[in-house]
Amino acid sequence: MITQPAVRGVDSELVSASWSDPEAFAELFDRYSAMLYRYVSKRLGPGPAEDLVGETFLIAFSKRRSYDLSYPDARPWLFGILTKLVARHHRSEATRYRALLRAPVEAEVESPADRVAAGVSAQAVRGELAGALAALPAKDRDVLLLIAWGDLTYEEVARALGIPVGTVRSRLNRGRRKVRAALGDTNPMEEE
Amino acid sequence: MDDLKLLRDLGAELEHGPPPTLVRQRTRYLHSRPRRRWTGWWTAGLVAVATVCAVAVPTVLLSHRGPAGPAAGGEAVDVSGAVNVLLIGSDTRDGEGNAKYGPSSRNTGQRADTIMIVHVPADRGRATAVSVPRDSLVRAAPCTSGPARTVMINAVYDEGGAACLRTTLEKLTGLRLHHTMAVDFAGFEDMVDALGGVTVKVPAPVNEPKAKLRLRAGEQVLDGEKALGYVRLRYYGDGSDLSRIKRQRTVVMALLKKAQRAVADPAELQGFLDVVRRSVKTDLTVEEMYQLGTQLAETKVSLKVVPTGPHPDDRVRLQWKQPEAGKLFGSLQ
Repeated sequence: MITQPAVRGVDSELVSASWSDPEAFAELFDRYSAMLYRYVSKRLGPGPAEDLVGETFLIAFSKRRSYDLSYPDARPWLFGILTKLVARHHRSEATRYRALLRAPVEAEVESPADRVAAGVSAQAVRGELAGALAALPAKDRDVLLLIAWGDLTYEEVARALGIPVGTVRSRLNRGRRKVRAALGDTNPMEEE
Repeated sequence: MDDLKLLRDLGAELEHGPPPTLVRQRTRYLHSRPRRRWTGWWTAGLVAVATVCAVAVPTVLLSHRGPAGPAAGGEAVDVSGAVNVLLIGSDTRDGEGNAKYGPSSRNTGQRADTIMIVHVPADRGRATAVSVPRDSLVRAAPCTSGPARTVMINAVYDEGGAACLRTTLEKLTGLRLHHTMAVDFAGFEDMVDALGGVTVKVPAPVNEPKAKLRLRAGEQVLDGEKALGYVRLRYYGDGSDLSRIKRQRTVVMALLKKAQRAVADPAELQGFLDVVRRSVKTDLTVEEMYQLGTQLAETKVSLKVVPTGPHPDDRVRLQWKQPEAGKLFGSLQ
């Protein structure tokens, strides 16, 4: 989508370069805006995603001087900012999940062979999944989704949220436990 | 089945790829200091919400007072003549449900997402709602800290509050803005829920995957969330603004009916009033709202937008196009 100019090095170098040359910061956008967009679009839908991504970079830019340059990878930092912004939309996020809960599962599977079985399963239980997500406390949900949807590691989530790794683990475990409980003994293949 | 795997699959199902327009955000940081912004995706319902507030709320309040009489003073309220109301669609952090997200240094205060000037002529025949694009760069009245300067218009509200926004807009438009009304849009849902939902006859089935709204045709009770979704629907019916406004009116009138009934139940009423207190901030008195509300219930509203073009100093921001903007406001004198 966005053309990537010659690689200038690790993120932290871009951040420090942007201290004197604000334009350098735009390359961070080129690197990560699509990724952040996809992440928000999962949690909040495409509606607010564009604006939130823009605002993430706006805030990141204003905080660039406090960036810890010992971390080469800026993703956790950006995800951390984005997570705070997503929190403002907790209402629409919950609404979104609850809508999934109500929406009838598209039962027809035209050509099962073309589908990855797992995909079908996820669709079959998406009501349960969405219900569990909607019911999770925000803190647990942030951790769970940063891992499942943001593809961050435990350490990166810890950095993004400014919490110890142990806390990430416990929140993740709690979140997963609740998701599993919501799935119950359901065998997804037998769902209507 | 691995729960994380299932979640990832769900995520993949919900995911949207970045649109080409995302590139607009690329240089946004170069042009402004950070400020709060909210997406405009709910703009459509604002008029409905405002009308609900103006109609349903005072109806309930007044009916509740019952025989005790309307105002302490008892005199009739005069809201005759042309009235201009500044409508601010805001999102606030001070709601109870928001508290758990913790006080963040940036997350306090209010954001103006939608700014509208509603002009109601003396004969109440046809009201005009002019929405002011929040990206407009304007000369702020010197009511914020520091001297007058050129800022984005919703920053005026963020920093100087409703009074400052009002002064600024009065200067810009040459109109006198008699009242301000700030509506917490999220509160609309709560209001509907506090009334136990709203009964609406849906003309045709709704299946709006974008809004995740599915409704069958026919009469049904909508909860807050669905009612909000319904008034906000864009691609439904003939897809016109007009049909949306009609839909909004249906919901408003249904809500009004419900509100009148709610008066009978003190517990329900209490809940409703609590919600209202949280969601609507206005300088209008209850009596004025009631008067205006009853008058506006009959009024047709036409929606306009301030004519704008890209700002020469900052192409991602807007400036009001003159003389068109001046003419528009002149016609509302």
